[in-house]
Amino acid sequence: MQQGAVIRLDGVTKTYQAGAPPALADLSLDVAAGEVAAVMGPSGSGKSTLLNLIAGLDRPTAGTITVAGRRIDNLSESGLARFRARHVGIIFQFFNLLDDLTVQDNVLLPAQLAGASRRAARARAGELLEQMGIERHRDDYPARLSGGQRQRVAIARALVNSPDLLLADEPTGALDTATGQEIGRLLQQLNADGQTLVLVTHDPALAERYAARTVRLLDGRLESAGVPA
Amino acid sequence: MNWPGSNWPWIIWLGPVRTASGGVLRHKVQAVAIGLVVLVSTASATLGLTLLAASNTPFQHAFGAQDGAHATVTVNTARASTADLAATRHLGGVTAAAGPFAESVVQTEFGGQPFGQMALAGRASAGGPVDDVVLNAGHWPDGPGQVVLDGSPGGGGPGLGSTLTVTGVPGAPALTVVGFGNSVTSTADGWVTPGEITRLQAPGMPPSVQMLYRFTHAASYGEVRADVAEVSRALPPGAVTGTASWLAAELQATSNGAIMEPFVVAFALIGLAMAVLIVGNVVSGAVVAGYQRIGVLKSIGLTPAQVVVAYLSRVGWPALAGCLAGVVAGNVLAIPVLHNSAGAYGVGSQQVPWWASVVAPVGMFALVLLAGFGPALRAGRLSAAEAIAAGRAPRAGRGYAAHRLAARLRLPRPAGLGLAAPFARPARTAVTLAAIAFGATAVIFAFGLNSSLSRAAASQTHSATVPVRVEQFGPGGGGPGQMPSAAQDAAVAAALRAQPGTLHEVAVYGNGVKVPGIAGTVNAWAFGGDAAWTGYGIIAGHWYDAPGEVDVNTAFLDQSGLAVGDTATVYTGTGPRAQVTVRVAGEVFDPDSQARMFGSTQTLPGIGTPANLQLYDVALRPGVSTDAYVQAVNGALGSRSPWQATSQHDGGQFYSIASGLVGLLAIMVAVAAGLGVLNTVLMTTRDRVHDLGVFKALGMRPGQVLTMVVCWIAGPAVVAAAIAAPAAVALNTATVRAMAGTAHTGIPASFTQVFPPSRLALLSLAAVAIAAAGALLPASWAARARPAVALHAE
Repeated sequence: MQQGAVIRLDGVTKTYQAGAPPALADLSLDVAAGEVAAVMGPSGSGKSTLLNLIAGLDRPTAGTITVAGRRIDNLSESGLARFRARHVGIIFQFFNLLDDLTVQDNVLLPAQLAGASRRAARARAGELLEQMGIERHRDDYPARLSGGQRQRVAIARALVNSPDLLLADEPTGALDTATGQEIGRLLQQLNADGQTLVLVTHDPALAERYAARTVRLLDGRLESAGVPA
Repeated sequence: MNWPGSNWPWIIWLGPVRTASGGVLRHKVQAVAIGLVVLVSTASATLGLTLLAASNTPFQHAFGAQDGAHATVTVNTARASTADLAATRHLGGVTAAAGPFAESVVQTEFGGQPFGQMALAGRASAGGPVDDVVLNAGHWPDGPGQVVLDGSPGGGGPGLGSTLTVTGVPGAPALTVVGFGNSVTSTADGWVTPGEITRLQAPGMPPSVQMLYRFTHAASYGEVRADVAEVSRALPPGAVTGTASWLAAELQATSNGAIMEPFVVAFALIGLAMAVLIVGNVVSGAVVAGYQRIGVLKSIGLTPAQVVVAYLSRVGWPALAGCLAGVVAGNVLAIPVLHNSAGAYGVGSQQVPWWASVVAPVGMFALVLLAGFGPALRAGRLSAAEAIAAGRAPRAGRGYAAHRLAARLRLPRPAGLGLAAPFARPARTAVTLAAIAFGATAVIFAFGLNSSLSRAAASQTHSATVPVRVEQFGPGGGGPGQMPSAAQDAAVAAALRAQPGTLHEVAVYGNGVKVPGIAGTVNAWAFGGDAAWTGYGIIAGHWYDAPGEVDVNTAFLDQSGLAVGDTATVYTGTGPRAQVTVRVAGEVFDPDSQARMFGSTQTLPGIGTPANLQLYDVALRPGVSTDAYVQAVNGALGSRSPWQATSQHDGGQFYSIASGLVGLLAIMVAVAAGLGVLNTVLMTTRDRVHDLGVFKALGMRPGQVLTMVVCWIAGPAVVAAAIAAPAAVALNTATVRAMAGTAHTGIPASFTQVFPPSRLALLSLAAVAIAAAGALLPASWAARARPAVALHAE
């Protein structure tokens, strides 16, 4: 195992239906702190399953998962929710912003759920909105924003609790090329500031340009773990 | 291509419908909610229709078959001739008449005991154009000394061959009971041969006859009074000395089942409204949630009619099951009520009429389909493209302001998110709110009605104010043996006064009296001392407090046409003190079809005689044990005394059945309301499953999800409580008044004032309880759902 690994998967298997081939089979993987790892593979290779398991959104059928120094495969639902709130930020392909909340309320939500003080949460949200360049949209609703702006809101929301790990599922998949590159640069900047990042993507260019290491999956198995930078 | 089965076009037509509807089993919770709410409504409707039939049919049927008399008019033949009487047969409103039948009101004894006052009529035969008396046993009198009694043999009274002694007339003639008959309007207490009446006339009493009439219009006391007034005008002044309306007989036949009808109808209406709301909500929810599905189904060839049928079938099957189960439940619930009702009518047994078991479920099923038809039609009319576009479009911007406001409140964030959520779907929220309000109204109403009924029961039995009674031979008195001696009577009064636990005691005398304008006997009760503490509920006026004043029940006022403040002449028998003039000081709650009068022995001296001493009412000092007191009094009286002390208990069979029925119906309606909430929360959970996944991905814990989902319904529940509380108060007041109206009695205001503010506030929490109970199950499902599953479940 790498020293200072933020993520460690050890013999992880995920099977959705008894008798069906596993979505992930006996996968072992480490991701170091401050690293950007891109997870690539064709559809059905197990990328999203891997992301869900690392984020604590789902549980493995076998094996152990340790994230930010905590075993998460044996946590209760409440424990997993607390873990997600404190240690993981998730960016989705289709943003998954809540339509009926303003930009600011979307960003504040994880902090409020984690029990942060009102003042501290607002200060942190304001800081992130400014950092993402969308401060002037704080009172707008997501439906009024462009795709790039929405993804910036989603990134701000993912970062509001200063997570140990940022997980991005096809973060540029719903964006045009220029906006995609803009978001890529933003993620790169976050990594430069020390943020550990796992990117799930179909886009080899994105992986090549921004990730120091590419993990390749095929039919639920690790094809190549890449070389940590 | 020619597919197999194309010879059966309906199968071809319905196949896609079955597929499109998704099947009932895929929507189990919705199916159960619809089924149960329809069950409640159908059961209530069946019971309501049954009570309606039970309360009216037997009397109406018998009245029609026996050509019952709308009015029995007693005429003084010293003032009206036979020709005068014959002329009344041809008056405008008279459709049939019988008589004149000579009549005499006599005092009787049976087995050496007073048997009461009886109105005897002389009739040559039982039949006639009016009041065709049905002979139940024996034969019609065909000679002197014979009598047929009104009623049936048995029950401890005289039987066939028994002898009654007529007192107060020369020679104290004996009458042998040769038969029992039934006059539907009880025109007389017994019948003898026409020639017998002369022998039964008390000296000094004017000779009188009875005329029996049927009129064109006689549906109300007012109409009957008007008809009788017409007859009176056709006769010489002062000739008419008494009248009896068929409505009094109908009232007497009206069962407790009829009294229950108003609240059963109230519950049926609540259930009905809830069924419509919940079914409409289910189908609307299914249409809204299934826009894309509708579009896809239409794009592959489903016709609008097939879409409509597909959505209706989703509610139709559970509704059908609910209707069938409901009609069975209604029949089962009707058994104890009908048993009670049949006893009151004396008709042996009553069944649920077949048409009630058909009309209730068919009507309810039609109503359910009608409720679902609107949204189903909307689904059918949507074009495929519109439906797909509507299904994919983001939700409209409703509820955003509420979320913005909630975000600024100092509430836990999940609670704020939950409280703002109902604004996103105002129509669904309104329907759910209404369902909760109906459920809470039913619960509050049930508590109120039980309190009202308890007060009525306590007021009727006086169990709270008169916990102990001393009667001859125990409850009811009048057992076999000698009348108590004066010494034994005095011993009772002495024993009661000697008990340290006695707070009040009063001797109560009773006998039948005659009051002009009221046919038949008025039950008069005279108290031998202060009786204000006996606790009769005052409907109007006040408890008598001066000589010459009496209180009367509602039946007295209805039948006499008198009002509080009026005066009446009372004949208490024969002798110089027999006729007194009294003023009606108040109307008291004493629900009985027979007119009753309450006064002091000073006001009604003819009643306050040792022979009429019926019982002693006793009130106890606070803290005195009723049972210990009764034991002590009976010990003091000794085992040989004909007097016996007993404790008074609340209620009776009617109140037990009514309370049980109210509770059961309220529980059923509350459960149905809870299921309506469950259904709504489930639909909302499904609508927002993706958002729930996002919340969870962002770190919302299961407990926070539970809080948020329960808060979805908290706002509507609070509003529903605010609506339900005054609605239940109004419903209770209206229902209790309707019940009193059915029982032909007024009610004291205290019977409806059963909701002090603190109690009402507490009962209003029923809305919150119903909402929480309904929301908890889907909330816990939502809390348990894996975020990865929720995120991909859209």
